[in-house]
Amino acid sequence: MTAADTARPARKARTPRKPRDRVRKASFTQALNNALDLAMDKHAEMFLIGEDIAEMGGDFGVTKGLLAKYGPERVRDTPLSEAAIIGTCAGAAMVGMRPVAEIMFADFIAECYDQVVNNVAKLHYMFDGQFKAPLVIRTACGGGFGGGPHHSQSVEGWFLNVPGIVIVAPSNPIDAKGLLLASIDSDDPVLFLEHKALYRSRAEVPPEYYTTPLGAAAVAREGADVTVVAAMRMVPMALEAAERAAADGVSVEVVDLRTIRPYDAATVLASAAKTGRVVVANEAPRIGGLGAELSARISEECFAELRGPVVRVDGLDAPIPFSVPLEDIVLPGTDDIAAAISSAAQY
Amino acid sequence: METPTLLGLYRDMWLIRAFEQGLEREFEKGNVPGMLHTGLGQEATQAALAWHLEATDTFFPDHRCHGINALAQQRHGGNGERIMAELFGKATGVCSGKGGSLHSADPAVGNFGDNAVEGSYMATVLGVALAAKMRGQRRVACAIIGDGTVGRGEFHESLNMAAIWDLPVLYACINNGYAISMPVGEGHASADIVDMVQGYGFECRQVDGNDVVEAWTAVGSAVEHIRSGAGPCFLEFKTWRWQGIFAGEFRPEAEVKYWKEERDPIMLGAEALGERGVDHAELDSIELGARDVIEEWIEFALESPAPDPDKATADVYVGWEVSSR
Repeated sequence: MTAADTARPARKARTPRKPRDRVRKASFTQALNNALDLAMDKHAEMFLIGEDIAEMGGDFGVTKGLLAKYGPERVRDTPLSEAAIIGTCAGAAMVGMRPVAEIMFADFIAECYDQVVNNVAKLHYMFDGQFKAPLVIRTACGGGFGGGPHHSQSVEGWFLNVPGIVIVAPSNPIDAKGLLLASIDSDDPVLFLEHKALYRSRAEVPPEYYTTPLGAAAVAREGADVTVVAAMRMVPMALEAAERAAADGVSVEVVDLRTIRPYDAATVLASAAKTGRVVVANEAPRIGGLGAELSARISEECFAELRGPVVRVDGLDAPIPFSVPLEDIVLPGTDDIAAAISSAAQY
Repeated sequence: METPTLLGLYRDMWLIRAFEQGLEREFEKGNVPGMLHTGLGQEATQAALAWHLEATDTFFPDHRCHGINALAQQRHGGNGERIMAELFGKATGVCSGKGGSLHSADPAVGNFGDNAVEGSYMATVLGVALAAKMRGQRRVACAIIGDGTVGRGEFHESLNMAAIWDLPVLYACINNGYAISMPVGEGHASADIVDMVQGYGFECRQVDGNDVVEAWTAVGSAVEHIRSGAGPCFLEFKTWRWQGIFAGEFRPEAEVKYWKEERDPIMLGAEALGERGVDHAELDSIELGARDVIEEWIEFALESPAPDPDKATADVYVGWEVSSR
């Protein structure tokens, strides 16, 4: 305190702030917004591009306030032209820019699938390393809110078979920020999946610049009897199912993939070998999806350690209906993971 | 146009023709894998485009642009034989044989590569142009497309975004009359592509693509217009491709005869030079010189080694290695 402060007339005593207010929790959306802000500040060659991201701040508010701070050249609204959005990112990246695109809903990526699969993912390879594609495609995916067949899909399976693309899929606000900053720093093209059901989840997100490594899974909960491998919204569901299983005396380990392609096989296989019982949980339809890949890989490489078959939890083999009771039938939930844990634990 | 310029363009047209004819021969012998699309008949447009684009500009060549790729190498200090070697899938190619005819790129000379999903680079060109604009560089980003690409959604997305953002894009649409087997007037609302483009509101012109003087003049003023910051420009070059379809010739005999015998861009160029007093011997030596260069390039390609096996899994990612078998 300075002398001037002490000279002021005494004020009415205030209620002291609660200590927890100083570490206010940030939402997943705020964490992403903060990451974009920090990255725009760090990378002069970075720009944001997408539909309604500027004045409106994006359909989910992830780019809110960035137009005012960085201007319309670097926070760029587009018409409904998904292919042109991703093509613009690819071309700009070829000359050393670092664009971050928002595709409003992951379902709309079908509109620019050619750009992602045939252009962005192959730029570095097919031209013999002469170009890089340091771009990020952020998109809102996943169901559970009555969005219907074209606003609810989990699209990671559409890209699992595409060498050259990186698929990042955070499950919580702290990872969301660190993974987005790492994705923007990366010289590889990243498909960054933001599960809509997670946007409102909150955590104590460090305010400073930090990165969470790409291609590295996290053990979200340690356990000895059953491993659950999951990503995005399946992770909080798996943690809840693990809590229930603990009450029944089953110790569950939850592996959060965080990066889906290239995924951290070492962490997955080590956990599978340790517990010998594995559940893979995935929101997309079963056939040809992430669960199929993980199940096959674990079965191939941990055959001797497995006590029973790998159990898959997936969406049903159907589009996602609008009516919420129907959607609940099609999409997997905590009960399904809990049932799969019980099934795996029998062996 | 000065006579030395016309002579230079004539030489360039012969390089393209000799390249494609040499390539056809080697393809028939089985020395060139994959597919073959030649730029025969389209030499005037290609020579005109290659002439005006600088190494710091960017062009996205289409599948018939081996000639432009080779000319860009020659003009900007690259090696033309590396374009030939790429088509043979050899280690000495511009992409070490990983791209081939449909993906030959060399950014050092402004060549950003074809995308074999025809017209996908109508979207990519926007990003290159946007970056140049954001950086205040007076550079041209050129997309060379065929008339078939006009059917792609990205064609229209690109024209629209280039218009609203005033981007420095040169659209060079080589209208050779057919998208594989589909006549341009049946596949599109108009056989004249400019009719469809005019609504986007930027500079747009139709050019005789077989008249090298007209093509060269049109490209020159378009490049100047774009460099001045006046926004995009669309040129439609009316021309005709000599190559039929995979099974052979499918077009009416009279049409083939007309374009090959009366509208051959090289023959028209020779006539123009003849009127300016250039004699036959000089024109013949230009042809022979081009053929010699191409034979050397073919020899180079044939003698070059196959790519190193490690290349099969190299550069999938920047940040990760992909294990080989």
